[in-house]
Amino acid sequence: MSDIELYLFEVDKNKAEAHDIAEKSASRLEAKKLKLIDLITSLEPYINNKDDGSIRAKSVGYLADVLAFLPLKALSGQERRLLCDFILGRIEGDLEGVGASARALVALEGLGKWDVETVQRVMRTFIDNTHPLRQFKLQTERYSIVQLIDLLLAKYREASRHLQEADQEFMPSFISYFEGEKDPRNLMIIFSLLQVPMTEWDVHANAQDLFDSVFNYFPITFKPPPDDPYGITAQDLKDRLRDCIAANSDFAPYAFPQLLDKLDSTSMNTKRDVLQAIQACVLGYEPNTINLYSVTLWDALKFEILNVQEEDLAVESLKSLALIAARLTDSADGPLNAYLRPVIKECNEHLEDAPTKQSEASGRILHAIAVSGYTAADKVVKGILPTLFSLYNGSQSITKRRGLLEVLNEIVAAYIELGASQPEAKIEALQASAGDAVDAMIRALVSAPKAEVSFRLASLKGLAQLVSAHGVLSEKESGRAVDTVTDIVLHEQLEGHGNIRAQAIKALTDMAHSVPHAVRDRSLPAFMVELPDVPAEASSPGPVLEAFAQLSTERQIFDTVALRLKNKYNSARHQGAPQDYQRSLLLALLYTFTFGTPTQEDGITRAAYFTEYAAPLVTDVASSSEHQSDSSTLEIVGRIVNVLLRPQGIHLQSTVYNHNVQWLASAVKDTSQAMNLAPFTLHYYAALRPEVADAEDIVFVLKAQADLALNATPASKGADTVLRHISLLVNKFINPKTMQATLEASDIEVGALLSGIPSPQAISVAFAVVKGLLIQGKTGALATKYLQALLDLLSTQGRGIAQRFATLLTPDDILSKENHCLVSGLYKQKIFNQAVPFMTAAVRTADATSKPNYFIALSGILRWLPYSVIEASLPSLVAPLLQTLDLTESTDQSVKASALVIFESVLMHDSTIVAEHTASLVTRLLNCTAGPTNHASVRAKALQCLALAPRQLKREAVVPYRRQVVKRLQACLDDAKRSVRTEAVKCRTAWLGLDEGNEDDE
Amino acid sequence: MDLDKDNANPTIINPSDLPSRRRSAPTTKRAGIFDVLAPAYPTLLAAPSSPPEAQSDISSDSEEEEDREEIDEQEVYDLISTISDPEHPLSLGSLGVVTLDDIKILTPTSPRSRISTVTVLITPTTSACSLTTVIGLGVKVRLVNALPPRFRVDVRIKEGTSKTADEVNKQLGDKERVAAAMENKSLVSVVNNMLATCE
Repeated sequence: MSDIELYLFEVDKNKAEAHDIAEKSASRLEAKKLKLIDLITSLEPYINNKDDGSIRAKSVGYLADVLAFLPLKALSGQERRLLCDFILGRIEGDLEGVGASARALVALEGLGKWDVETVQRVMRTFIDNTHPLRQFKLQTERYSIVQLIDLLLAKYREASRHLQEADQEFMPSFISYFEGEKDPRNLMIIFSLLQVPMTEWDVHANAQDLFDSVFNYFPITFKPPPDDPYGITAQDLKDRLRDCIAANSDFAPYAFPQLLDKLDSTSMNTKRDVLQAIQACVLGYEPNTINLYSVTLWDALKFEILNVQEEDLAVESLKSLALIAARLTDSADGPLNAYLRPVIKECNEHLEDAPTKQSEASGRILHAIAVSGYTAADKVVKGILPTLFSLYNGSQSITKRRGLLEVLNEIVAAYIELGASQPEAKIEALQASAGDAVDAMIRALVSAPKAEVSFRLASLKGLAQLVSAHGVLSEKESGRAVDTVTDIVLHEQLEGHGNIRAQAIKALTDMAHSVPHAVRDRSLPAFMVELPDVPAEASSPGPVLEAFAQLSTERQIFDTVALRLKNKYNSARHQGAPQDYQRSLLLALLYTFTFGTPTQEDGITRAAYFTEYAAPLVTDVASSSEHQSDSSTLEIVGRIVNVLLRPQGIHLQSTVYNHNVQWLASAVKDTSQAMNLAPFTLHYYAALRPEVADAEDIVFVLKAQADLALNATPASKGADTVLRHISLLVNKFINPKTMQATLEASDIEVGALLSGIPSPQAISVAFAVVKGLLIQGKTGALATKYLQALLDLLSTQGRGIAQRFATLLTPDDILSKENHCLVSGLYKQKIFNQAVPFMTAAVRTADATSKPNYFIALSGILRWLPYSVIEASLPSLVAPLLQTLDLTESTDQSVKASALVIFESVLMHDSTIVAEHTASLVTRLLNCTAGPTNHASVRAKALQCLALAPRQLKREAVVPYRRQVVKRLQACLDDAKRSVRTEAVKCRTAWLGLDEGNEDDE
Repeated sequence: MDLDKDNANPTIINPSDLPSRRRSAPTTKRAGIFDVLAPAYPTLLAAPSSPPEAQSDISSDSEEEEDREEIDEQEVYDLISTISDPEHPLSLGSLGVVTLDDIKILTPTSPRSRISTVTVLITPTTSACSLTTVIGLGVKVRLVNALPPRFRVDVRIKEGTSKTADEVNKQLGDKERVAAAMENKSLVSVVNNMLATCE
């Protein structure tokens, strides 16, 4: 059988096989074993089959497949021409297999470039003989043709353009050729190929038809079928269609009216598409064209902003208005003026009855337009500010003035944004009015009643903005602004409503960013005046100090702020100021280094800060052997040292360590001193890198700390600091390989500590050691053994030990990676996996006295675990947690609270787990809402959980309890605590909502 | 565009000018910004007499556990100011429909009575507002559901602010009529929509 016969035989059954046959033919053709003429002749009986169109089509398909497999240069120019003629000749007489013909032509083109004449013949043949495209029912056929035309337009720009120029009739039939196409794959190509005539040809005469041919598809409502293999989204189509609409200025007379018409649509998505298209048009069309429609556009777009339907529509409309302004700025002055005149007029009208939604919207409009460029901003300022100020001065109403200031602030904000993006500022117009603005705002801040919060806040914001708008204010004006705000920060002592200090501090920090010198020269001295070396009895410089510390968030004045604080601390110390005051100054210094922006070198805080700020403090601590400082002050010193020392490299740390090791060793040995010094040493050791310290010294310190902890009386302050120190040393400094030996050497081996009847102190130390080990995660077996020893105590010991389990997972900022501790990524899971199954199993067999121990320990562990860790074990946890809610002692309140938090998460995420316990959960939650046996926080949390039930559980599961719950919640509405009442209202509303529209059920 | 609304462009009060608990009660214990710098953690040293939560908020609450915070005007205001207006997407508080000054709580007149009375006066945005009754009903429903039963709720239209004040007051004061109104499904859904924004 010949190839064509084989092909025809296979093509419907096995596409791949048919392809192989065509490929074989192609390779024979290439190897000259088969002559082209013989191939064509072999097609003869099929391609001309009079009775069966499909055989004719498949024969062309064979030809197309063969050609597609041919490599370059396999056919001579003459052969290609002949083939081309042959295929085109067929189309004129027979439309069967037209898709395959198009494929064949694409393949032919791939074998060698066409000349102008061929291109034009191909194009004409298709447009003349296959018009309209929609007559072909198969998407693939149309797809091939569309691809061919796309190829012609993309590669042979000139040839196709001449075709259009030579023949008036060509364009109309070309445009109508694609009419009625619905398939998204074809449309994607058609939208793309139409861009060529739209942007490159002179289509003035056919603009409307051309535009309509694409706009008919607007808005695109296509929804891709589920698991669509082609992956074309509505957005792809929208993007291409939008490019077509915006392609040619000649479309404007049709585009804008129709788009604006569709802007009145009730569909939000249509409106979104319209706004996107308008923006594309504004960018795509000529400025001269935009000029003709600018006012029309404004008249339509403004409604979206003045009466906001959807916020994103307003935002897009604002963007459109700004784009228009930006486009018109590029041309002469006239068009921009013509556009802005009605805008300014309307905004001015809205200002007259400020503050309204409309005046607020005017502010947004003016901001958007001004931000488009200095030219537009200039015109806005000249058009609006005179009216604004005359209205401001003509009105006594504070509300009105506030509304006007808000609009002014919007305009100034635009200048700040412009300043950030465009260096060459044009600010004369704003400068001219800035003086008036500053005066008005300062007056508002100084003389308006303090209760007019929004008015004063608007003024404050305005001042900060004017100062930030680069170059707008003179030095004198910014100085006055800075003074006014400083004065508010320092001297307004209002509590409650009317207190705007927080905002004023923020404003001052913002100003410091723009005019650091003014703040440094004017504000900082004023602050210093308010901060005495030794405060008088009555005055409390706390708020001033807090404000001062916050200024350190601005990098440019950080060093000055920190230095002044240090000097103030030194003079306070030398003149014997009260401890509280010294401590506050140190706290302020700590604040600046923690939350401020100190200078950095190579990504870490500058080492010089340590030598300048922390080192002298350490020397003070070392030299004053008497320790006048109390331990709370020493803690702050420790923290300052910690924050400055810990990021530093080994070199500096070693120097510091060796410098201090002597005196610290002797201080630690002295029991009376050591306890007092504990907060300092804890933070100091926390800062050190483990490789810096000497192993012997560490054992010595550990031993000393253990001594302290074991001999501490329950009343001694700072004992918990010592315990944290033990956890730290165990975690960070001790080699995991020699852990047990080291612990034994330091007399804190857990097994030994817990033997016999352990003292409370010994138990505490044991917990501290285990905590350090568990977080480290390097001594698996030892940690497991110790934890089990602690768990075993639950059945014999009192509640004290159960309560201590909460401390195992309590977050501690000492044991952190920043402090160079070893923090295992999975320590929480590890503790959970060991402790929780043990406890849930043990509690079932436990007797009545030890049962509560397990509940307490269990929720102590659970309260610090992330939900994801507990999630998998929840089914086994629900029962013990429910019983936890039955605990009644006043010391168990926190245990109950943590159980409630877990129930809250469960109800939120996996309510099915508690569904079977609905009855007992609802009853217990209701019991937890009763005061005064339950604390306020427990009552509130129980109400929060209860409020989730109707939403998260199945309706039929909760409806039976509705009456009971609603009734019992009446009592909660009268709870003694306001926060509980608030929750009760929410909870009751949720339950009352259950019967909506379902009264019949009851 | 807003022709179907009785008052298309009402005055809106800025949120920072609305009364809040912050205004009426100057905080006695001010939490300073430095407090976070030296946090107190539950201690490891837990003697049975002092539970691990010695420093946590729970036990500090217990000292105040006895002090009762009475329901006051601000609390009633907070309950109803977040109700949405049926025709604007704004709260009754920001429209000035309910104000703190127009809420009064009368404590029991005799020591034997437990009944307090809450009086709320409503100021419609315009004197011809046709939705006044619905707003009144919403406020009334909210308070009846959210206040303990010892409170008698009296919602009325502020004198001289509405043409239909007498009519509406009669409706709102009549238990039977309020109950009947809440049987009306469409009215119930309007009221529920208004209350949906309440916390």
